[in-house]
Parts: sequence; C-alpha cells; structure tokens
Amino acid sequence: MYLELQHLSKNFEGKTVVKDLSLSLAEGELLCILGSSGCGKTTTLNMIGGFLRPSSGKILLDGQDITAMPPERRPVTTVFQSYGLFPHMTVLQNVMYGLKFQKMKRTQAREKAMHYLELVNLSEYANAGIYEISGGQQQRVALARALVVEPRLCLLDEPFCNLDAALRVKMREGLKEIQRKLNMTMVFVTHDQEEALNLADKIAIMEQGVLTQYDSPMNIYRRPANDFVREFLNLDELVWSDEGALLKVIKK
Amino acid sequence: MNKPNKPFEKKTNGLKRERASSDALFFGKRSFSGPFSGRELAGYAVDRLLLAVILGSVCLFVLYPLLCIAFRSFNGKDGTFTLANYGETWAQYGTSLWNSIFVGVLSAFFCTIFSVSAALVVSTRRGWMKLLCMGILLVTMVSPPFVASLAYIQLYGRRGWITHGLLGLSWNPYNKWGVILMQSVSFVPMNALFLNGILAKIDGDSIKAARDLGASPASILRDIVLPQMKPGILVCLLLSFIRSLADYGTPVIIGGRFSTIASDIYYQLTGYANLEKASVLNMFLLLPSIGAFFLYRRLLRQSDALVQSSRGKQEQLQLRLGKCGLLGGLIGLASGLFFVMMILQYACIFSTGFIKVSKTGNRFTLQYLRQLLKTDLNTMGRSVLYALIVSLVGTLFAMIFSYYMERRKVPLRQGFDCLVTLPYMLPGTCFGIGYILAFNHPPLKLTGTALIVLANMLFKQLPTCTKICSATLKQVPLAQERAVHDLGGGQMAVLRDVILPGLRPAFLSCFSYNFSSSMTTAGAILFLIDPARKLAVFKLFDAVYTGDYAVASLIATLIILIVLAVEALVYWITGKAAKPRVS
Amino acid sequence: MSKRVLSALLAAAMLLSMAACNKEEKAPETENQTPAENTTTEKPAESEGKEEKPEISGTMKAIATSENYVTLFDKFTAETGVKVELLSMSSGDVLSKLRAEGGTPSADLWFGGGIDAFMSAKEDDLLEPVTFEAASEIDPQFRDPDGCWYSKGLTIVGFLLNDKLMEELNLEQPATWEDLTDPSYQGEIIMSNPAISGTNYAAVNSLLQAKGEEAGWEFFNALNENIAYYAKRGSDPKNKVIADEFAIGITYLDDTITALKEDYDVTIVYPEDGIPWIPDGVACFKNAENVEAAKYFIEWLFSNDENLQLLAEIDQKTSIKLIKPSLEGVELDYSPDILMELDLSKFGSMRESILAQFETLMGDKAVNE
Repeated sequence: MYLELQHLSKNFEGKTVVKDLSLSLAEGELLCILGSSGCGKTTTLNMIGGFLRPSSGKILLDGQDITAMPPERRPVTTVFQSYGLFPHMTVLQNVMYGLKFQKMKRTQAREKAMHYLELVNLSEYANAGIYEISGGQQQRVALARALVVEPRLCLLDEPFCNLDAALRVKMREGLKEIQRKLNMTMVFVTHDQEEALNLADKIAIMEQGVLTQYDSPMNIYRRPANDFVREFLNLDELVWSDEGALLKVIKK
Repeated sequence: MNKPNKPFEKKTNGLKRERASSDALFFGKRSFSGPFSGRELAGYAVDRLLLAVILGSVCLFVLYPLLCIAFRSFNGKDGTFTLANYGETWAQYGTSLWNSIFVGVLSAFFCTIFSVSAALVVSTRRGWMKLLCMGILLVTMVSPPFVASLAYIQLYGRRGWITHGLLGLSWNPYNKWGVILMQSVSFVPMNALFLNGILAKIDGDSIKAARDLGASPASILRDIVLPQMKPGILVCLLLSFIRSLADYGTPVIIGGRFSTIASDIYYQLTGYANLEKASVLNMFLLLPSIGAFFLYRRLLRQSDALVQSSRGKQEQLQLRLGKCGLLGGLIGLASGLFFVMMILQYACIFSTGFIKVSKTGNRFTLQYLRQLLKTDLNTMGRSVLYALIVSLVGTLFAMIFSYYMERRKVPLRQGFDCLVTLPYMLPGTCFGIGYILAFNHPPLKLTGTALIVLANMLFKQLPTCTKICSATLKQVPLAQERAVHDLGGGQMAVLRDVILPGLRPAFLSCFSYNFSSSMTTAGAILFLIDPARKLAVFKLFDAVYTGDYAVASLIATLIILIVLAVEALVYWITGKAAKPRVS
Repeated sequence: MSKRVLSALLAAAMLLSMAACNKEEKAPETENQTPAENTTTEKPAESEGKEEKPEISGTMKAIATSENYVTLFDKFTAETGVKVELLSMSSGDVLSKLRAEGGTPSADLWFGGGIDAFMSAKEDDLLEPVTFEAASEIDPQFRDPDGCWYSKGLTIVGFLLNDKLMEELNLEQPATWEDLTDPSYQGEIIMSNPAISGTNYAAVNSLLQAKGEEAGWEFFNALNENIAYYAKRGSDPKNKVIADEFAIGITYLDDTITALKEDYDVTIVYPEDGIPWIPDGVACFKNAENVEAAKYFIEWLFSNDENLQLLAEIDQKTSIKLIKPSLEGVELDYSPDILMELDLSKFGSMRESILAQFETLMGDKAVNE
C-alpha cells in the first residue's frame, strides 16, 4: 500500500492519546480521519506530518520508513487549521516559498506558483497581501502552497472549520476536484460527518485514541461497527444513491 | 516587499471611517429618542469634564513647562528676547550634537541586536533556561540610576575585576565606547520583553508550514521569524535611539572627556547654572527626537497590522536556535554575552554593599548594612508611597487618555499624542527644570509640594503607559462599545464596562513600569525634591555623589527588591481578580 | 466580580492620591501659622529655661553638602524646637535650582559648598543678609561685608597618591604643582571639572592668582596633557585613586582623607609651592518660607563655641579656627603659612571667564580622542 501506519501509539506524560493505530491507504485516495475533539485525530495527523514522533510504531510512505524523518525532509505537506500563512508576504510569495528549497529558479518557480494559483482560482490575487483576501481565499492559498511542492502526501487539518456552511460545500467540491485532477493522496481530519462522507474514499473513525472502524463510507453505512459509530455519523439521517454516493441528510 | 504596506494604510483608513460612522450613528440615534433624560445629560457632562481634565492637565503639565524652557532659551542677559544663545551654544556644543547622534545610532544598533537575540532565546527556550533568562530580564528591568555605570567601572575599568583581575588588561574605560556598551545593554530588558510579546503572537502554524515546505531552521529564522519582527525591531531601534539621546547618567559617569548633548545639559545645570544654554541644548535635542517619534508612529502602525492579521494559535515559538547556522550562532553569542554581562553587573551591585576593602584584602561585612539601617528609612517608605500613587493614578490616566485618543474624535488628536510623548525624549533634568520654571509663582505655585514631584513622575512616565494602553485597546472589539450604546449606555458606561475592563491586561504592564520607574527616576526630580520630602533614590544619588559606593549599592539592592516584591504582589492580586473570569 | 475589584482598586488609588496630596500640600500651611501659636506648643520642655531668642518655629529646610550634618541640626532642634529637614545637593545644583525658582526658594538654609557659588548667588540677589553680634569675631575676609554669606571652614587642596600604582608605574612622588606637569605622569592624574567641584575650582583660581594669568594658563595647558579626564563629581578623584584606577588625584584634604590611610595604601601630599583653599559657605535664602529660623541658625552656630566644635568634628577639619580665631577647643592642625596668598573677591568675579577658558581646554582633548 502507498501509506501505511503500523501500530502507531503516542503517549503524553503517561497518557495514551493514540493507541496501536494501524491502517493503509492506496495512492490517489482521500482518507478522512473522523472523530470528536480529543479523540487523537490531530495527533495522528501530526505524527504523519512529522511534527510529533510516535512513542512506538512505524509510518511507511511508498515503502519507505519515514517515522524518524523531520518535517522539512518529509515529502508530506500540511494545510493547517489556521492556514499558517506568512503574513508579511503576498499571496504569490506564500505559494512560491516552498519551491525555494527545491532549488528551482525564480522565474520557473513563479510560473509554477501561478499555475497552482490558477488551479485554486486565485490568479488575480497573486500580488495581494494575506490580510486583504477573505478566509475562503486564504484557505485556498494554503492549499496551493501545500500542493505546489508536489508532495507525495498532503494532510489537511480541519481546513474548512473557519468557513461558513455554504462556502464549506463549495470548497470541498473544489478540493475533491483538485485531488482527482492531481491524483493526490490526502489525509483529511474533520469532526464533520457530512464532510467526511462526501469527500472520503476511506473513513477512519477514532474514539479516545483507538481506531474504531476503517472502511469506505458506504461500507461503514451498511455495517457500522458499533452504536458509537452509528450515532456519531447519524446514519439514520442519510440517504444514499445506488452508486454509494451520499445524496442528502434528512434532519429529523 | 513594498506592496504589503499599501494595504495596511487602506485598512487603517477603513477603520477610521468605521469609527466616524459609529459616532454619527450614535448621535443620530440619540436625536431620535427625543429630549435627553437627566441621567444622559449628567453622563454627557461627566464625559466632557473628564476629557477637559485630561487634556487640560496634559497642557498644564507637559506643554506649559516645555514652553517655559523654549521661552528661556530665547532669554537674553537682561530678560530681552535674543537668538544669541543659539549661536553661542551651537558654536560651543555643535560637536556634542554629532556625538549624541553618533552614540545614539550605535547604541540603538547594538542594543537592538542584543534585544532581538535575548527575545529569541527567551521565546524559543523552555524549562529552566527560559525561566532564568526571563528572570534576568525582569530583574534588570529595575535599573537604579548610576549604579550600573559604577558596576561597569568596577568590572571593566582600569582595575576592573574582569579586565584587569582576570585578563590582566589595563585599558581606559572612560570613552565613548564605554558609553555605547553600557547604553546598549541597559536598554535591552524593556526592548526584549516588547519583542518577546511580538514573537508570542507569531502564528505557530506558519512556522510549522514553513518546516513542512522544506525550510531549514535557518531559513525559518531568516524568512519567517525575523521579517515578522521587522516593525518591532525598528520600533526598538528608534526607542533606543531616543533613550540614548536623553540619557545623561552614563556619559557623565563613564564618558570621560567624551560628552553628549544630554551630559552637556547636566553640566550647564550643575556646573555653570546656565539655564539659558541648558534650554537651548534641550531645543537641539528635540529635533532628532521628534523626527524619530514620527517614524516610530508609522512603524508601530505597520507592526500592529502584521500582528493583528495573524489569526493562528499563539504558542511557544518552535525553533531551535542552535540549528540556525551562522545567524543562530551569532544570536546565541550576543544573547549569551548579554545575559552574562547582566549577571555580572547585578552580582557586582549586590555584592559591593557587603564587601569591605582594606589593605589586607577584601572581606565580607555587614557594617554598611547596619550603617544604612541606622539612617532614616522614611525615605524608602515615602518612595514606595509616591510610586504607588503615581502607578495607580498614572495608569488610570493613561487608560482614559488612550481611550479618548483611540476611540473618540478629539480635536488635535495627533498633536496631543505627540505632545504627551515629548517628556520621554528629554533628559530628566531638563523636564525637572521646566517644572520649576513653570510652577514657581502663584497662582501655579507648586514648588516645594508633593504634587509637583508626583506630577513630574506621572507625566514623565505617561508616554510609555499610553503606548501600552493604546496597543491593548486595539484588541478590544469596537462591537462591544457599540453594543453598550445599542443597549442604551452612554460614554461613561462604555468607559466603565468596556474600556477599563478591556484594558486589564495593560494594567499590570503600566503599573510595573510606573512603579519601577518612579522608584528609580532621579534626573527628573533632582531639582524638584523638597528637603522635607526626600526619596530613596535621592539618598542613592547622594551616596554615589560622595563616593559611598557600598551604601549606594545597598540602597540600589533594596530598591530592586522592593520593586520586585510589589510587582509580584500586584501580579498576584490581578491574577486573583482575573481568575473568576477565566473559569 | 473581577470588574468590581478593578474599579475598587482604581477608586482607592484616586482617594489615596488625593489624600496624600492634600496632606502634603497642607503641611507647609500649618507650618506658616503665626509663630506665637506654635512656639509654645512645639517647644520641648528642656529648652524652656533658655533666655532671649527670636520667635522661631515650624520646620527649617536646609540644603547641605552632606547628610552628616544631621547631628548638628539635631542639636539645633533640641535647643530651639525648630525641626530641620535636610537635603544634600551640590552647590552647582543649588544655584541652578535657585535661578530656576526665580526668587521663590523651596529651602531656607544653604549649608556648605564652595564660596564661588555663594558669591554668584549674592550677585543674583538670591541671598538674605544676616547680621548678629558674634559676627564681629569672624575674620572679615571670611564673611560677606553685607552679611549675605559666612564661611564655616576652609577646604584645602592637595594630592592623594596611590602607593601601589606609583610603584608599579615607577613614578616619583610629586612634591609641587609644577611637578605634576612632568610627562611621566601622563594619563595618571585625575581632577574634577572645576565647574562642578568647588575644590578644583579653588585650585584653578588660586594657581592662576599665584602664578599670574599667563604663566597660570601655561601650567594648566601642560597639566591638561597629563590629566586622564575631568571627573563630573567632586569626590571622584579620591574614589578613583583608592580604587587603584589612577595614581594621582587632585582632591580636598581633611581628616576623612587622612583616615583613608588605615584601609588603603595612599600618601597625602601637601604641595610645597602652596596650598589652594576655598571657604565653605553658609547662607540664608532670600524670600524663604522660614527665613527667621535660618537666620537664627547662622547666629546660633557662630555664637556658641560648642556648636562650632561639633561642626569641626563633623567636617573632620580644624579650619574653623581660622574663621573664628577666638574659638576655644579647636586647634588648627597645620600652619596657616602653607596656604596660598589669595584675593577671595576674585573667586566670584573671575569665575565665568576662568570656567569658559577651562572648558576649551578640556574640550580640546575630547576632539583628539
């Protein structure tokens, strides 16, 4: 498999935050880690991104063990919850920043960055400052910045949680489209079940540091592992098409 | 790099428009609701009265004394108007002005390097190192006058413990480089704490993002951290420059034959008693200072814009300085040098009071402590009382002043803001002389009262406090203020229920600053003090003057301990008061 | 809840400050009440038996060169009931303060400091004349003809040598002022700026008088080459010599300097070619709030030998015997012949021109540095 997490555990001051987590993901797939706050999903993401060292276990990417690799050398990028944009740079400078470390020439880097800004529909804002553009636009800058370095894996930490509901739907459609276009493998952390069911190829549901269920959305819908999963996903409120796509949520 | 500046301006303009419309809205609304009620009228009257008192006292206690100095600078021998003082003084002290600027620029430069390094170390280190460095900064924030320079001579002088005792050197420490070095390190604590505040506001995710994209620690430092500190760094440069211009104690004690405008002013006052020349020299000093001030304001606005735009979580700065290459090494070296110098300096101050020098060698003694305890310690009590009064009243004053400046359309707002800053830029002795000139005749006869000393301290320290308050006030959402109006509250309700509570974070900073400055300021009140109302710092000055360095060190130590104790107490009290809100 | 704490704190602060201001401001008023009211209540029992005394009361504010005089003022308080508040300040600062105050001084008595400052103050009409019976016993050259100032002693000037450094640097002991210009002393002599230090001003003025203008300035130009720098405080030369920083200091000499020998390896040199000296002044400020008390203090001091003995003890010098030759109980510990012949009146009149010329002298080297 492309991405493999093997028996990952993480302890903080004697408390186990993630416990013996194993899963694998094929190339080009989008994995959603879903769970309520404090379930260990962000910790998992940080371990994949290299910001936290697992207490035990291994992370393999394309067959290579990256467990001990620092984030700056790991071919993995992250879109942070608060975007982590550089406030003293323009939109274009933000997107170009990562290319600097790939020893790319400036003109070439600029071209490539512009291409990715087009991809996220922001080319006309290339020279704007970060605080001049809206939250949704900032989110897309962060996405372009993470993708422009052509990572082998892209991580997204609740990227839409600062946006309003209507924008969220639009943004996730855009994300899905880009992910398909680039055939990018992505890991996406969220607590929004609708988002997960809509976006994911695979869903990992976590509860108190433990992986409760790991499967495709349809399979989880059909065979929820336990009552927690059923309730957390509000499975009774969902209507599915025959192809396994979510049609709508019935609010009772 | 130029581009981002523009949007800031746009944004502030936008904000101004918003503010203007909020006032219009408010007044518009009121006229709808028919005649004013008595309560509304009273609130309105109190509001206007408060504004008048605030602006009036600024005019009286800042503008008027300064005008007296300006007036005096044109005073001829027989009381006629003349420009001769200027020509004469320029011919005599023109070089001092260049000396001042030379020392100012270099001190500001080195001080900023030390400050940035110290701030980076404090914000990136954890555990005991962080605590130690932070502790050193907090202790050295309290800097009784003169003793630092005396410690410098003792450590690095011709027979200094370090230079001669340890390194076997015998060099002349009395020159401009000594002044530059001492000024560079003595302005650091305040700057470093200010920069530390800026660093704490850098979005932790932006650091992570840079790492993620492949940036090495050195690149992160160079591309992400330092650029975001840039406006703060420039503010440091300017403030240090201004402080260096106004500092007379350092060149007087360790300048040797080297003199600056500030030390010449001191000379003119204590040596020649020539008020006219001293006034002219003050006028000289004002020019570069006011220039620096307007630059400072522009820069601060940019700094605010940068900080406000970051919406990320504020966490410990994740950066390992050790891995930042050459730049990191230099930062480590500079901060190491600074912290070691500070430890040595304060150790020297503390220990001098307990060392008896004799032919047979130095030995520990409590003789000086006993000697100090025998003399009246009332001065210490009075100092604490005055400092408490100035801290509380001054902080409240600064809060209200910054409210009117930031949130209300006050006529001549810019002018008042600049005016209030002027005392910061002049040597303390000069501001003191201004007060005597201004308040020595009825109906404004204040000389010889406690009020003149208190007012002088308060207005000398006001500039820093209003800066702190204004910065904090920017974080208080305008919406809260509008909500009060919406719910029927007047300006007083806004002040009481939104502004003052919102300024709580500024309270502690202002209070600490006010208290420690009041306990240690000497220059401003040197001429104002009345024999019946001596302050501890005056005893210190006296001890330094007569060469009782041991006693001077003990008084300095006592002052430092009292300031730290009071600050800890206030921290504890405000912490307790703040708790219910958090939980 | 927290809001209330804050506002209470602030309210308390306001009250506190107002109370404090009121209290402090009122204090002088009560002191100003008619003397008759106060003398009876404040006079301590022990002094009741004393004979004729002007009706003085309240508090006398004194500016002195040192806080050591507190025992003398305590004695005054014990005998008269007048409380004394003491503030130490250098004479230059006093003069600046006086001039800025424009004739509304915030103190009553000026105690100690070089006579040149007193002469300047008299010229500016800032001093109150004082006359009393015992004044006739004071040598006329040590009192102002109008009674505006009196001399309470002489400060004499000499050299303080650091033995260790002299030996280390292989220097010979200077015996005269002229010796100090020897190039071997370069950078090893420290003196104070004569504008700030009355002692060093005395040295400059006296030597100029003794040598004549031309030869005098030649001497100071030569001396300037050897001076490390001009300190900004009068006590600096002494402090820097005992701290092993400089080999030779030009300083005042009194018993406190002699006492240094106990703890430090120092030698005191009385220059053979003459000892400069300057009277130490005492005066009463014009328009002072409690001018009567200050006037009486001067009379009290000079009329009773006991007081002058105490003063000599505090000052650690015996020169008061020269001021008031009839004084009993104090013997001069040096021969008056070693003092230079001086015209004291020139101390005031030459001050400005001397200091101006000296400033260019001091400045020259600053440029070379």
